Amino acid sequence: MKLLEVENLSKAFGGVLAINRLSFSLDQGEVLGLIGPNGSGKSTLFDTITGVLKPDTGRIRFDNKDITGMASYKICQSGIARTFQLVKPFSRLTPLENVMVGRAHGSQPARNIKQSRIESKQLLAFTGLGDKHSGMAGMLSLVDRKRLEIARALATRPKLLLLDEMMAGLNPAELDNAIALVKAIRDSGISLIVVEHVMKVIMGISDRVVVLEVGRKIADGAPEEIVNNPEVIRAYLGKKPYATN
Amino acid sequence: MEFVLQTIANGLLAGALYGLVALGLGLLMGVMKFLNIAHGTFIILGGYLSFWLFNLWGIDPFLSIPLVMIAMFLIGLVFYRLALSPLLKLPDVGMRIDTSMLITFGLIWVLDNAMTMLWTPNVRTILTSYTGETFRFFGARFSFTGLCGVGIAVLVGLALYSVLSRTYFGKHLRAATQDAEAASLCGVNVQRVYLISTGIAIALAGVAGAVIVSSYSISASGGIGWLLIAFVVMVLAGEGNINAIIPAGLVYGLLEAGSVLIFGVPYRQAIALLVFVLVLMFKPQGLFAKRE
Amino acid sequence: MLPDWKRLLVIGLLVLAFMAAPMVIEIGTGSLNLLIMVFIFVILSQSWNIIGGYTGQINLGLAAFFGCGVLVTHFVWKAEMPIYLAVIAGGLSAVVLAGIIGLPTLRLKGAYFAIGTFALAEVCRIVVGNIFERMIEMPGSYAASYSLIPRYYLGLTVAFAAIAVTYFITRSKLGLGMVAVRDSEQAAQVTGVNSFKYKVYALLISAFLAGLGGGVYAFMRLSFHYVTAVFSPIWTFEPLMAAVIGGSGTLIGPVIGSIFLVVLSEIFALTLGEAHLIIFGLLFILVVMYFPYGLVGSVSRIRQIISRVGRGLCETGENCRKGF
Repeated sequence: MKLLEVENLSKAFGGVLAINRLSFSLDQGEVLGLIGPNGSGKSTLFDTITGVLKPDTGRIRFDNKDITGMASYKICQSGIARTFQLVKPFSRLTPLENVMVGRAHGSQPARNIKQSRIESKQLLAFTGLGDKHSGMAGMLSLVDRKRLEIARALATRPKLLLLDEMMAGLNPAELDNAIALVKAIRDSGISLIVVEHVMKVIMGISDRVVVLEVGRKIADGAPEEIVNNPEVIRAYLGKKPYATN
Repeated sequence: MEFVLQTIANGLLAGALYGLVALGLGLLMGVMKFLNIAHGTFIILGGYLSFWLFNLWGIDPFLSIPLVMIAMFLIGLVFYRLALSPLLKLPDVGMRIDTSMLITFGLIWVLDNAMTMLWTPNVRTILTSYTGETFRFFGARFSFTGLCGVGIAVLVGLALYSVLSRTYFGKHLRAATQDAEAASLCGVNVQRVYLISTGIAIALAGVAGAVIVSSYSISASGGIGWLLIAFVVMVLAGEGNINAIIPAGLVYGLLEAGSVLIFGVPYRQAIALLVFVLVLMFKPQGLFAKRE
Repeated sequence: MLPDWKRLLVIGLLVLAFMAAPMVIEIGTGSLNLLIMVFIFVILSQSWNIIGGYTGQINLGLAAFFGCGVLVTHFVWKAEMPIYLAVIAGGLSAVVLAGIIGLPTLRLKGAYFAIGTFALAEVCRIVVGNIFERMIEMPGSYAASYSLIPRYYLGLTVAFAAIAVTYFITRSKLGLGMVAVRDSEQAAQVTGVNSFKYKVYALLISAFLAGLGGGVYAFMRLSFHYVTAVFSPIWTFEPLMAAVIGGSGTLIGPVIGSIFLVVLSEIFALTLGEAHLIIFGLLFILVVMYFPYGLVGSVSRIRQIISRVGRGLCETGENCRKGF
């Protein structure tokens, strides 16, 4: 069953086409890796799917409902959550309160504040922030802020989670933890679209990979097909083999 | 008929001044993202400078404008160093706007009351030999000082336009606003560009004050009224659209003159609010917004 | 921080003490006036705090809501309505005014809300000044039976109501949404918060409180020589200053700020006269630049730093934290 269908999507800034007639779809329960060189439109795509930006043309269907151009909060309430590449915690709130915002307003909000506090604590524990309830979220380390970003997104009870470069800048041990976390999220039944530069991660967790170049889709297939696709090697891997960071 | 012509004339004279009043505010807010609530108070300060130059040394208010500009430019430099430059460290533009707003809101109280103590709360105006002289064109009367004001507004508007769009300084300023980090990597000294621009913005407020004191009058606490006008003109022009400010001032001057004709003087400012709300509801990007 | 029930107990005891005070001890007219002014400032600064401190939308036109509350309460009361109804009418009138300026400006990004509220207050001041050329006052019979005690109780009730309202908002879904919008509107939106709706709710609640504050002032002052004075920007500036100096975005900050400000201006007004506003202005600027979280925020910041250092010193953080 198709969970997300993007059809013929375009978005321009001034005269520059950030997304150019892009179409792809995502099945229920699938993990889709999204790769492409810098400036290929990955973050813009996330912004248009979550209603932060309005597309110029094209349709986005989610869960058999047209969500094109809907307000961000409605899209969230219908079941799409995301993280930001540049993390945006609610910096003056505690980590627990950050997650509670999502638990109180997402697609299946908690019955009351007390309930949302209990469930939010579980989510903090799930994402590895179990001991960090208090203090200001803005003071957390970058790794913890990234985890918090995931916890807050999960708190809205999404059917689809969009992860935007959550693993950039992590050390190998942190990377393994993060991969385990993504797998655990998938196992809980949430579909994912993962934007990542670290190839090892993309190849390790994705069921399918879509490759973007200047806003167009140049390849779409299983990870092992992608690494051997000459178009992809030319456009991306050829120039910047196995980007490491 | 003559009545209508006179209304249009009054509207144009006032409107050019309104544009002049909004220029400095528009430069700071539109280009640099500092919202200077004390803008009206700086206008009054410029007016006082002009007033004292006339009273103490008998310097004609229109001839003293360069002196007022230099003095206000220097005040602007101090203002930037003490109050605005620390805000560049803030993480985003929204916080910069909010904090500059609060700081300058506090500054109103400091400057207003300091001016009241120094120069009493009395209303001041400059009376020269030509004050009250008028000309007739097409059956409408134009005051000499008002016409001078129009001339200065147009001159200053054009000068600002050419500085912003024709010089390297203007390019640097726009680059710094779009992406301060990238601009400084390209060799733009962001702090210096902002410093000088703030000086220019405050000097512009000074010019407006000098014109106001010769054709209207000023009082220590009158800055807030001029700020209101500057806000409405800025919103009409569209945020960041500096070149449209003088035309927007003229539009607002005409609107105001027309509405006074219909509703009477007591509701003059209510029209300002109405215009403000209607523009934001139906054309929040301003009347003169360029198409992308 | 104290546990909830202890905090409630402390607040309850405070309310009782304030209730009983005028009955038990003789409070001079001067002190009563001062206390009522503190109450009015608590109401106004808490009103500013809800929209400015918790929701992050800077209101530069509190005077409009306050002044509107004063005028409407005055005239409704004059029409021989009971005072508590008149005060509520004052609050509701401020809500209407807030809707007029809030609906068009809160949708937009940037400083439009601040500019709009500022313009609203200034326009109200001038237009009202043009309409009411003479002083307005209550009939002589009201002055004959004037006593400060009922003013004291009304002020006390509304001030504690303002604190209670803020308290319950901060523990609700609405409050969570409001602070989320303040810290990052975009992140709040994609986390399911309808930011426009929440900003409007916060503004309406805030304006209602400011209007009630105006009502208390109308009850206290029977006559107004210059009607424009109740719309003076000083009614924006001083409550804003109380909220920011005390600590905006905290429950108790505006209360502390109000006490601090009213007492300080009483002392300054006697010794410095008009110049005290210069000092207030400078103080305010310094707080905004160097202590953005105000008195309360700075204290808890310092406490946080101490506890972090403390945690660093001993190895098992959990046990040590209790010590601080």
